[in-house]
Amino acid sequence: MIQAKNVYKTFYAPHAIHALVDVSADIAAGEVVVVIGPSGSGKSTFLRCLNRLEHATSGHIYIDGIDILDARTDINKVRAEVGMVFQSFNLFPHKSVLENVTLAQKVVRKRSGGASTEKAMALLKKVGISDKIDVFPDQLSGGQQQRVAIARALAMDPKVMLFDEPTSALDPEMIGEVLDVMKTLAREGMTMVCVTHEMGFAREVADRVIFMDAGAIVEAGTPEHFFTNPTHDRTKLFLSQIL
Amino acid sequence: MREGNDHRVTGRPLHYNRWVVVFCFGVLVFLGLFYYATQKIQYVWRWNRTPIYFAYQEEIHVTSTIDGEVSAITVEGDKARITVTGNGEEETYTTPKQDVRVSKGEFISPGDTLATYKKWKAGLLVIGLWITLKISVLATIIGVIIGILSGLMRISENPALRWSAVVYVELIRGSPLMVQILIWYFVLGTLINDLLIANGWGQIPALWYGVASLACFAGAYVSEIVRAGIQSIHRGQTEAARSLGMTYGQSMRHIILPQALRRILPPLAGQFISLVKDSSLLGIIAIRELTKAAREAVSASLQPFEIYILLGLLYLVLTFSLSMYVQYLERRMATS
Repeated sequence: MIQAKNVYKTFYAPHAIHALVDVSADIAAGEVVVVIGPSGSGKSTFLRCLNRLEHATSGHIYIDGIDILDARTDINKVRAEVGMVFQSFNLFPHKSVLENVTLAQKVVRKRSGGASTEKAMALLKKVGISDKIDVFPDQLSGGQQQRVAIARALAMDPKVMLFDEPTSALDPEMIGEVLDVMKTLAREGMTMVCVTHEMGFAREVADRVIFMDAGAIVEAGTPEHFFTNPTHDRTKLFLSQIL
Repeated sequence: MREGNDHRVTGRPLHYNRWVVVFCFGVLVFLGLFYYATQKIQYVWRWNRTPIYFAYQEEIHVTSTIDGEVSAITVEGDKARITVTGNGEEETYTTPKQDVRVSKGEFISPGDTLATYKKWKAGLLVIGLWITLKISVLATIIGVIIGILSGLMRISENPALRWSAVVYVELIRGSPLMVQILIWYFVLGTLINDLLIANGWGQIPALWYGVASLACFAGAYVSEIVRAGIQSIHRGQTEAARSLGMTYGQSMRHIILPQALRRILPPLAGQFISLVKDSSLLGIIAIRELTKAAREAVSASLQPFEIYILLGLLYLVLTFSLSMYVQYLERRMATS
């Protein structure tokens, strides 16, 4: 589903920072991959390269066989197939909850008002917000906003979902409700790439855990391997700091 | 406790009301002194002569175009039909019946008055006000379009677009509007009109050069307002829209511009209030907007004090209603 080959990303302003150094990963359909690592390790940059919110400096990234770094690729078509959930939710504040979920369906997928509303209602019910469809995002709690954001991404019927630290901006008591939605998605067979600090989530749901440091993948493996028997010293150090 | 409450009349402390009185007194003193000064120079105030510059009754003479005899006068409702016959010709004139000056059988020559009536006509100031309004509305609409386009160009990554916008904004903001109006009319206008005439097309009236100069002037300022408004919207909004597969245009139209518009409405309103006031410069290219019309009224009436004071008040009415309307829009947007 996702193939990243020798991906490099360098930011030049204000001085050269090598955010990604020769990152390669294969993510199969239906797989749930959790990316962890210390801050500044390039995990968010990697995730954002997967839908070209950041343009990789070199290398190849294929989404469902399409080379997204090729200038001839219609990136908007690819992005419609790749849902993304952000740390700061990024709901549209001038649109109601329902409109947040229907807008891209109408504009990008060209669905009718009725069909997109039906789809939105089903998804909002799934994430547990069906009683607040007419309120505006600023009247929702962080956890509720993030669940709406997940519904908004799911409304496009994506083949892949990218989660960029979806629970980092939440109050502790709201993390559970968002993780529950993500777990449901994982059980239903959604292909997911999650950047997160929730080790419990990684242990429980991930098929594979990727540990990144200084822009490179240090170690990747099953959660059992990763949490019980890490090979690299850097991984051990990181785990000892957070667990 | 009791004593503290006794000092309050309208929920405000007594000294507040005292200063309100001082303010009103100050205004009255100022007006009084002004009036006293005009009396000192023996200025004769004639406010009663100013209404004709808003509207007046014109006497219209209905005159015969042929030689002959009045053959018939028929009255239908409040209209009269006068028929003149002579030398094998016949002509019928329709006029309001109140002042028919001929009777049946009378002989008349071409140019003789058959009847008169009075008709309300707009005075100079109303004509000027209308032109000022027309110019302001047109220039505002065009200015907004230019401003949004060049604001978007200004934040584009394409250097050709970005630099065009920068050059445009800097050129316009770096020179006086008066100079720009002169260039629009006497340089570009001459050029364009001469080219049009050379190709056998008609000329473009001065009014349109006035509109163009104001629209381009306002557009440059709107451009900066739009740019700042768009850049004030958090980057995450664009990222969320784009990550859903929206194109640049779709994310601008549905996500960024609606949010930016709310934020830029107050500075935008200020810009258009300036535009209404700046239109007073267009008199120099012979557009009869409000200020030019007022100057003509002063030449005719020799009543500069009344007419210039009225002129100021008329602009105040325009700008004040505009700012009220924008406040209403802001409130409506805040609740939606």
